[in-house]
Amino acid sequence: MKNDTTPISRTAFMEELRRYQKGSVTRRHFLGVTGLGTAMAVMGGALPGLLPTRARAQDIGDRVVLATWPNYHDPANFDAFAQQTGALTQVNVFGSNEEMLAKIQAGGSGWDVFVPTNYAIPTYVMADLIEPLDLSKIPNYDAAAFDQRFATAGTIDGKVYAVPKNWGTTGIAFNSTKTGGIVDSWKTFFDGARDKFDGRVMVHDYQLTTIGNALVYHGFSFNSVDPAELAEAEKLLIDVKPHLYAISSDYQPAMRNGDAWLTMCWTGDGKQMNVDMPEIGFALGKEGGEIWSDYYAIPKDAPHKDAAYALINYLLDPNVNATEALAHGYPVADSRTNALLPEALLNDPILYPAAGALDPLEFGAAVTLTDPNRAEVMARFKSA
Amino acid sequence: MMIQNPSMADAASTDVAPTEVVAEFAGATKRFGAVLAADRINLRIRRGEFLSFLGPSGCGKTTALRMLAGFEAPTEGAVLIDGKDVSAVPAHKRPVNMVFQHYALFPHMTVAQNVGYGLRQRRPRLPGAEIAQKVDAALAKVRLADFGARRIWELSGGQQQRVALARAIINEPQILLLDEPMAALDAKLRGEMQRELLELQRSLNVTFVLVTHDQEEALSMSDRICIMGKGRIAQVGSPQELYDRPRNRYVADFVGRANIVAAKIIARQGGIAQAVLGNGATIGVNDLPGDTRGKAEIAIRPEALTLARGKDAVPEDTVALPARVTHRTFLGDRTEYLLMAEGIGPLQVNSPRQAASAIGEHDVGAHVRVLWRAGTGLVLAADI
Amino acid sequence: MAMTQTRGRALLLTPAALWYAALLLLPLAVVLIFSFGERTPIGGYAPGFTLAQYANLPARMAAFRNTLTLAPVGTLAALLIAYPLAYFLAVRVSVRWKTLLLVLVIVPFWTSILIRSYAWIFLLGGKGLPALLASIGFEDIRLLNSPFAVLVGIVYGYLPLMVFPIYVALEKLDLRLLEAAADLGAPPWRSFVQITLPLSMPGVLTGSMLVFILLMGEFLIPAILGGGKVFFVGNALVDLFLQSRNWPFGSAVAVALVVIMLITVAIYTRVVKRYAAGRDDVAMM
Repeated sequence: MKNDTTPISRTAFMEELRRYQKGSVTRRHFLGVTGLGTAMAVMGGALPGLLPTRARAQDIGDRVVLATWPNYHDPANFDAFAQQTGALTQVNVFGSNEEMLAKIQAGGSGWDVFVPTNYAIPTYVMADLIEPLDLSKIPNYDAAAFDQRFATAGTIDGKVYAVPKNWGTTGIAFNSTKTGGIVDSWKTFFDGARDKFDGRVMVHDYQLTTIGNALVYHGFSFNSVDPAELAEAEKLLIDVKPHLYAISSDYQPAMRNGDAWLTMCWTGDGKQMNVDMPEIGFALGKEGGEIWSDYYAIPKDAPHKDAAYALINYLLDPNVNATEALAHGYPVADSRTNALLPEALLNDPILYPAAGALDPLEFGAAVTLTDPNRAEVMARFKSA
Repeated sequence: MMIQNPSMADAASTDVAPTEVVAEFAGATKRFGAVLAADRINLRIRRGEFLSFLGPSGCGKTTALRMLAGFEAPTEGAVLIDGKDVSAVPAHKRPVNMVFQHYALFPHMTVAQNVGYGLRQRRPRLPGAEIAQKVDAALAKVRLADFGARRIWELSGGQQQRVALARAIINEPQILLLDEPMAALDAKLRGEMQRELLELQRSLNVTFVLVTHDQEEALSMSDRICIMGKGRIAQVGSPQELYDRPRNRYVADFVGRANIVAAKIIARQGGIAQAVLGNGATIGVNDLPGDTRGKAEIAIRPEALTLARGKDAVPEDTVALPARVTHRTFLGDRTEYLLMAEGIGPLQVNSPRQAASAIGEHDVGAHVRVLWRAGTGLVLAADI
Repeated sequence: MAMTQTRGRALLLTPAALWYAALLLLPLAVVLIFSFGERTPIGGYAPGFTLAQYANLPARMAAFRNTLTLAPVGTLAALLIAYPLAYFLAVRVSVRWKTLLLVLVIVPFWTSILIRSYAWIFLLGGKGLPALLASIGFEDIRLLNSPFAVLVGIVYGYLPLMVFPIYVALEKLDLRLLEAAADLGAPPWRSFVQITLPLSMPGVLTGSMLVFILLMGEFLIPAILGGGKVFFVGNALVDLFLQSRNWPFGSAVAVALVVIMLITVAIYTRVVKRYAAGRDDVAMM
């Protein structure tokens, strides 16, 4: 308690600032809100001309553009990829699937590889924005090695449009010293917000999870687009709003400095906070919630297709994938990769919850991405 | 000051009877940091008189005026108005008004609003009708009867000056202060305005205090002139007094033209000093009261000297100084000669037209005699 | 000769005209066309001609209401803080310090508004100002994620834009006018109201206009310091274009916002014109 009222130190301030500068303040939505979706960094650190020249079996060009999420890769792997192939990876980070879709829909994104989440893939296919992958160019993808739960969304009508990257969940992060214990239900989450956690609860600035979890609170499906059910969820959200600390997907700073006690939270963020501050725990809502899986896909208008295939293939190499997982801390669905990961990580309850805990969770449905009613519910909630 | 110049300052302030005094500087001194802008000024201003502060820029005349207006408080000494020490009274509470150098008219107000500004500051408020009527009267007085609705920038310089005048007199001040009011006008307009100002002063019967660097303006308008230099009063007196009896070299130089020659004083009696000039000639000159010096500078006006040819007879009480014409300027009504007098140095002689026509002009290089009549020269004090 | 001059001038103006057309008119035209279109089932834009998007505008009424409340309040608050500051800089500060102080006013502008707003998160957050207040006995004061925090951020962010026009107007103020007013019997506060204030109005109007127009489109500060709970038209636009990808409706909202801004500018122009009619020192800025 004492800790809370100590003014932020200079070092702490600089740390927060650096976190911002590195782009890790936000996982998803915040980047969209700030319009920083175009923030990009050229990985590789050297100009093509300075790279050691060598005869390559196949020339894939000097560049590949990757659109992905913040803090989702090990930069050293891009260096190594450039060494091997001569292609520098240019990384663009984004805040939401919606934002990625908007960018590709507008045309001329210039991306070669991007990382859609499961529920976005059908929309890309429907809009004819991505093509089936030529799996012969991704020998490192072994469908049999993957947990099918996290791989099926990439296959539509028998064609593989996307191959799995990582998976995770959307649960509840809680500061146990404030909440007095584990919070593992959306009932406690939303009721507590209006009661003993007044002014201390955060929900995502993201319709999928915020509306989805409000639906789950009422016992409806996370993915419901039923107007009556949505109306119930909206009523709950608007009722809770005055008691919320914030509607923001950038919940780490507030959780870490004690301003917020409870937040909707993605796996990786929960793990990161838990490592630094053991009193912050992560639990899945026992009524349900979201489980998700991210995939690699190639836009139809990708300018460097050969390089795109080469990059995906490289990142799916189990050895590479393992170093990736160690860097970002999200679970992997590839058994070959998991075999290379330390035991402690595989037994971590935040990353790999007991199978039973995952049962009530739902994958986001494609319709939630495009349903206009959910967008309007969110707008009414935010402007209320 | 008393020691440096025994009689002057005292005489200047004591020659106004106490009942006639409208304002007084009593040892008023103003310092701006290390700069001494006004140095122990002692001066009484007579009710109803037209007094000018005359001097070059930086002489302290503006500082004196601003102390009277209330824009500067004296560092030492006091300023009195109507017998009361007003040194600490702010400008807006003093019964004086000012015509500013560039008029300082309010650009966002009409002529009538400018003129009525002073009346609108009265508390309790004056009725609008009364203000309007007084504004009309004031505008009529400065011959701008139909200009009330005009905008300031629509007026000529002379008209703006009259608005400034009307604005300043409407409050019926005890003293009207004029800070170089004619400086921005062309020569012809300036003459006109000077006459109008004098008429106005007579009709209002208000004390006018004018600051100017223009000696002609001061000489032609003032009842008394206060000549200032180096922050001090050099001499106070009527225009004639200053011209005929300049007290020191500074005044003699500043008002009109004067020849200044060094001399030895060998005897003094009854206000006449016997001065031995550089060429050995002895001449009686007006003495400086109280002076005891053996050496002094003598001032003689160029028009007090006359020229004669070698063979002409020398009148009584006159010395003839041999000289050579070095420069001649014909000016219509007179001719100005610059001469080199033996043992004395350069002299200027102004020869009126009729004199020249009687004895003819002298050519450059001609040897002539300069005639100096007893009683026309004047012993000068050492300094201000 | 004249021909050459005309042609030369036309040649000189061409890049500016093209620039203007390409960067302002073209996007505006696109937005206008989009606003009459329809949303495809997966978002984006489908050609059409319908007024449905405009009919739907009341759905964002709350956002417009918030914007039209906070923009004037923010402008006023910025004005109330900027005016004394500009007055101090223009009238009171000695020439020696003036440049340094002016630079200090500008310096924050060299940093991204995002970073500066983030600094306010820490200042207004639990370990910032509230912690200091708690140490002197005011417990549990929450400042962040409130309209107040948004107001603070707005005033802070837009202060230089308000300070400079007012500073320029006050810098031009002839201090002898104040002496003249004092000489005519006006105490200091009255000469301020009657002389200084009216003569600095061009700066006040320009600054207010700049800040008001920018506030109308503001989305960053409410998103960061309002904790997402303060929702402006700007935020509605971001959500419509980047989240729900309802481009036609987003375009209609944008057109409505532009119309409101144009009306504001028209009122401003009229006020300044009326003002300028009686003045030689007021020009449209």
